[in-house]
Amino acid sequence: METAAEQHHEAPAGFVRRYIFSTDHKVIAKQYMILSLTMALIGGFTAYLIRWQLAWPETDIPGWGPIGPDNYNAIITMHGTVMVFFVAMPFLLGAFGNYLIPLMIGARDMAFPRLNMMSFWTVFTASVVLTISMFVPGGPAAAGWTGYAPLSDNPIYTGVTWGQNLWILALALEFGSFLMGGINFLTTALNMRAPGMTLWRLPLVVWMELTAAVVFLLSVGPLIAGALMLLADRTLGTGFFRPDRGGDPLLWEHLFWFFGHPEVYVVALPGFGIMLEVMPVFARKPIFGYRTMVWSTIAAGLLSFIVWAHHMFVSGMDPRLATPFSVTTILISVPFALLVFSMIATVWGGSITLTTPMLFALGGLATFIIGGVTGIFLGSATTDIFLHGTYFVVAHFHYTLFPVTFFGGFAGLYYWYPKMFGRMMNETLGKIHFWFTFVFFNAIFIPLFAVGTHGSPRRIYELSSYTYLQPFQYLHVIATYATIGLFIGQLPFIVNFIGSMVRGKRAADNPWDANTLEWATTSPPPHENFEHIPVVYRDPYEYSVPGENEDWIPQTRPEPQIVYAAAD
Amino acid sequence: MMSTIENHDREYIMIWVWLVLLLGAGMMVFTLPIARMPALALIFGIAAVKATLVLRDYMHLRSERMLVYAIAFVPVILALGLALVLIPDIVYRH
Amino acid sequence: MSVGIETASHKAYTEGETTGIPMGKIGIWWFLASEVMVFGGLIGAYVLFRIANGGWADQAEHVNWRLGAINTLVLVTSSLTMILALSAGRSGRHQRAANFLLATVLLGLTFLGIKGVEYSREIAEGFTPASGMFWSFYFLMTGLHGIHVIGGIVFNATLYIAAVRGTLWSEHHEDRLEFAGLYWHFVDVVWIFLFPLLYLA
Repeated sequence: METAAEQHHEAPAGFVRRYIFSTDHKVIAKQYMILSLTMALIGGFTAYLIRWQLAWPETDIPGWGPIGPDNYNAIITMHGTVMVFFVAMPFLLGAFGNYLIPLMIGARDMAFPRLNMMSFWTVFTASVVLTISMFVPGGPAAAGWTGYAPLSDNPIYTGVTWGQNLWILALALEFGSFLMGGINFLTTALNMRAPGMTLWRLPLVVWMELTAAVVFLLSVGPLIAGALMLLADRTLGTGFFRPDRGGDPLLWEHLFWFFGHPEVYVVALPGFGIMLEVMPVFARKPIFGYRTMVWSTIAAGLLSFIVWAHHMFVSGMDPRLATPFSVTTILISVPFALLVFSMIATVWGGSITLTTPMLFALGGLATFIIGGVTGIFLGSATTDIFLHGTYFVVAHFHYTLFPVTFFGGFAGLYYWYPKMFGRMMNETLGKIHFWFTFVFFNAIFIPLFAVGTHGSPRRIYELSSYTYLQPFQYLHVIATYATIGLFIGQLPFIVNFIGSMVRGKRAADNPWDANTLEWATTSPPPHENFEHIPVVYRDPYEYSVPGENEDWIPQTRPEPQIVYAAAD
Repeated sequence: MMSTIENHDREYIMIWVWLVLLLGAGMMVFTLPIARMPALALIFGIAAVKATLVLRDYMHLRSERMLVYAIAFVPVILALGLALVLIPDIVYRH
Repeated sequence: MSVGIETASHKAYTEGETTGIPMGKIGIWWFLASEVMVFGGLIGAYVLFRIANGGWADQAEHVNWRLGAINTLVLVTSSLTMILALSAGRSGRHQRAANFLLATVLLGLTFLGIKGVEYSREIAEGFTPASGMFWSFYFLMTGLHGIHVIGGIVFNATLYIAAVRGTLWSEHHEDRLEFAGLYWHFVDVVWIFLFPLLYLA
C-alpha cells in the first residue's frame, strides 16, 4: 500500500483526480458530508411519511399518496437503515473523522490515502444499491433496520424478494467501507502523529473517533458472518435462522445486537467528541478531567461489547441472561455519566459565548441527558418488559441518536465550516436553525414518551383501531406538526450551508481562538495540510491559564524558558 | 550476514517439519480407535499447537511488540466471549 | 520522505513512524483482527449448533477427510514457501524470492483445485448447502475460506509479477511481501482449525 509519506506534494491538476477520485482526506471528508446530508433528505422524507401516517391514517399523504401496511414496514425499515448507516456513520465518522484526525494530529494525510478513497466510493456504491433496492419488484426490505429473522429470512412473511437481498448487499458494502476507514483511522492516529503529539495530548474527538473505529472493527465481524448466513438462507436453501430447517432465529438477534449495540457507541462517541471540542473553546475553559474523559471513553468502548442482550429481554432468550445484562447496562451508564458531568463542569463558570456551534453542543448535551436517563428504564429487564416495543423505546433512541448525530454533527459543521471552506457561516441563520431544531425535536419526541408509557405499540401502521389509544391520538398529531416544523427549520441551514460558500465572510486561520492543530494552518488548509509539520508542546485545552496575557495557548507554542524570578 | 539468514531458513523448514508431523499425529489420533471425547481433545490440542507455531514463527509474533499482540488477541477473547454467552440460548434450548 | 526536525525535547522525527511499527503492518493486523471476529462468529455458531443437535454424525461422515488432510498439507507447505520468499527477498536473493512466490501461488491454486474436486463429488452425491445444517455450515465456512484463498492468490500473484519485473525491490514496496505473508499465514491458521472442525470432529 502506498502511504501518505511517499506521495507527491502538489495537488493533482485534473478535475476528476482533484474533486472526484481524490485521495486528499479533506476532499474525501467533504464527499462523505455531502453524501450523508443527501441521504438525510431520504431519511427525513421517510420520517415525514411515517409521522403523517400516524397522525392522520385515513388521509393521503401530500407528495406521496396512501400508505398500506406493507409499504409502512418498508418505509420504517428504510428510515432506520438510511439514518443509522448512511447518515450518522458517514457524517460523524466519514466526514469528521476523515477531516479532523490528520489535521488534529499534525499529519499530511491519512496513512493509506488510496484506501481512504476506496472506502468512500464503497459506501457511495452501498448507498446507490440501497436506493435502487427501493424500486425493485417486490419492494424494498421490510423487516426493520434490525432485519430480524425469520421476517428477513423467509419471503413468505413480507413478500419482499430482491429488496431484502439488496439490503444485505448494501449493508455488506457499507461494513466493508467502514472497516477500511477504521483501519485507516487507527493506523493514522497511531503512527502519523506530529513530534510531541503524545497520546495524552490528543484532542478528545480524536480519542473518540479512534475508540469508535476499534469498537466498530471488533463488533461487526459476527454480523458479517450473520449476513452471509442470512443471504445463504435466502438464496441457497440453508436454514441457519429458520426453525423449520433446524436453525434458530435467536442467533440472528444475538449476532445483530452484538454489533448493533456497540454501533450506538460508534455513532455516539464521535458526536460527544465534537461537543467536547466545541465547549471549551466557547466557555474559554479547559476540559474538566481530560484523562478521566479518555478512560471513560475506553471503558464505554469495552463495556459496549457486553450489554447487547438488553435489546432482547422479551425475545424469548434464556431468562438467566437478563440479570447479568441488566447489570452491565446500568454499569455502562457510569462512563457516560462521567462524560456528561465533565461537559457540565467544563462550561460551568466559563465565559460562555452562545455562538451557533456552542448552542448546538449545549442543546445536544441537554437532549442527550434525557435519552440517557430514559435508557436506564430500558436497560433494566423489569421495566423493559413493560415498555418494550412501545413508542417509549422510539422516543428513547431518538433522544440518544438525534443529539449526537444532528446536534453534535451540526455543532461540528458550524464550528469547522470556516476551516473546511474558508468562509464564515451566517450566525443569525444558524441561530434560527438551532432554535427550530431544538424546540421541534423536543416537541416530536416528548409526546412519544407519553404515548409509549400508555402502551402505544411501535411498527404499527394504523393505531386508530386501538380504542384505548384514542385519548392520546392528539399527541401523535402534535408530534407530526412538530416534524413539519423541524423540516422547515432546516431550510435556513441549507441556505446558509450553500450560500456561505459563495457569500460568507472570509474566515481567518483561527476565527475562534482555539488551541488544537487544525487552527495552526490556513483556512482552508493547503493540499498537504501544513507547510511544515507542526511541533506540539502542550495539552489541547489550555484556555484561560492564569498569568497569561491571552486566554488561549495553541498546542504549538513552546514552553517558555523557566526563569527563576525572585518572589516578592 | 548471509549465514544468519540461511539459519533462519533452516528454522522455517524445521517449523514446517513440525507442522507436518503434527498433522500426521492428528490423523493418527483420528484413525486409531480412541474414545471420541479424548480423541477430539487431542485433535484440537494439536490444531492449537500448529496455529501457535504459524503465529509465532511464520507471522513472527515472537519478535513483535505489545501493540501487535493486543490487536491480535483482543478479538480472540471477544469471539470466545460471544460464543460463551450464546451457550444458554443455543445449546440448552434444543 | 522524511522531515528531520530536531529540537531539544524531540528526537529526530520521521513522518509516519510514531510507534516504530511500519504502517502497513499495523493496518494488516487490524484487518486480521476484524477477520478473527468474522470467522469467530461463524465457528462459534457452528460449534454450539453442533453440540446442541447431537453432533450431526450421520451428515459429517460423508466428507472426504483424506482430501482434507492433503489440502492441509498443501496449505501448510504454501506457508513455508511464503516465508522463504520473504526471507529470500529480505536478503537480496530476488530470483529465489520470485520462485518461492510462484510456488506459493501454485500451491494455493492446488488447494482450490482439490477443494473443487471435493465440492463436485459432494454435490454429485447429493450433498448441497440445503442438505442439512452440517452441510450448510460446511459449504459456508469452506466457501468463505476459499474466497480468502482466492484473495491471497491474487495478492501473491501481483507481488510475483512485481518481483519478476523488479518493481517490488524498493525500500517501500519490499514490505508488501511481509504484509501479504501475514495475510496468507492467517488464512492457513483458519484452515488449521476448520480442518478438524469439519473433517475430523
